Amino acid sequence: MTEEKKDKGDKEEEDDDVFPFIEGETIDLVAGNSKWANLSCKWRNDPKVRHYARNIWPQTLEEVKKRFEPLPDKQMRDSIKFTIYHKQSKRPIGSIGFSRINWVNRNANIFAKIGEPEYWGKGIAGEASKLLINYGFTELNFHKIYSGVFTPNKRSLRAAEKLGFEKEGVLKEEMYVDGQYHDVHRFALFKRDWKKNNE
Amino acid sequence: MTDDIPIFIGGENIALIPLNIENIKLYAKWENNPKVRIYSRNILPRTVEEMKKYLEPSDKRPKNEVSFEIWHKKDNKIIGFGEVSDINWYNQQAYIGLLIGEPDYWGQKIGEEATRLLVEYAFNELNIFKLKASILVVNKGSWRCAEKNGFTRVATFKKDMYVNGEYLDNYVYSLLKEDWLKLKK
Repeated sequence: MTEEKKDKGDKEEEDDDVFPFIEGETIDLVAGNSKWANLSCKWRNDPKVRHYARNIWPQTLEEVKKRFEPLPDKQMRDSIKFTIYHKQSKRPIGSIGFSRINWVNRNANIFAKIGEPEYWGKGIAGEASKLLINYGFTELNFHKIYSGVFTPNKRSLRAAEKLGFEKEGVLKEEMYVDGQYHDVHRFALFKRDWKKNNE
Repeated sequence: MTDDIPIFIGGENIALIPLNIENIKLYAKWENNPKVRIYSRNILPRTVEEMKKYLEPSDKRPKNEVSFEIWHKKDNKIIGFGEVSDINWYNQQAYIGLLIGEPDYWGQKIGEEATRLLVEYAFNELNIFKLKASILVVNKGSWRCAEKNGFTRVATFKKDMYVNGEYLDNYVYSLLKEDWLKLKK
């Protein structure tokens, strides 16, 4: 089977079981689907993608599949993930979500990853982040959303500022990337500020 | 002697302390006591073994209930338990519940103080937005505890519980954090 045919097959199949949970302009946030495990595995191992997503371990398909397994009943989630689904090309292109959710302190870390580099630089991560942030504040009732960006990731630094995040601090030489230590900038967005900016 | 009491929240006459497996027989005694169980609405015999399940560590994180023993300071005695239960972390709501297992200590405003400590804990430490309490119509002592702490009766479930041969109404009380803060001023 050629790569082209396989892609086509995937697309046809995808149309009837992709249910947008949050609708955007160019993308929707949809629930993850185990049939995308291969794709997710590709993204996680892709050198260009994992450089920014900070994944330094090879990920087997088996490991990735585990991430799609349902949680035990009634367990509070400490992360909530979505697949970013491109509406026009009708294909999943990345993932986004909250991790390290603390339900008492009402805060969480936001992460985003566009796994298909051809979609970089088109404002998609920004659009997806806005949708997710709105969800975090209006549905999950978070007080604060934060994110850590390491210095060379200029794109994410800019994106964070554009979204209204403010720098809270710098963790010196926190992350070892490509042979050297880098600072991590911690950004945070409070619900009250986000509300003001979105009135 | 009281040095080894692991006080978690201290009050005037009582303190809330963690549950303790060594007191399991005491818990079973309270839950089976006819005078007590009318109010705690326990209609099944409770074995010590069953009571032990309350003490099994839960893997739920964050917990959806938090229970304490109520320790009487002066008498150095465990007299009941209190809990914040059915915590819904998405909506930041929970129920508050109390059992004074030693009827000798009824009518001494201990429930009132225990309620106050539990309410403070739920609002100030757990970041709960709204508390509720479900109280049987005949359980006047508990209404008083709730009302003294600012709870208001928001619902009456008609003939909600079958107790001693008849259906009794059940009240739901509620307290919003914002109203509680106003009351404290």
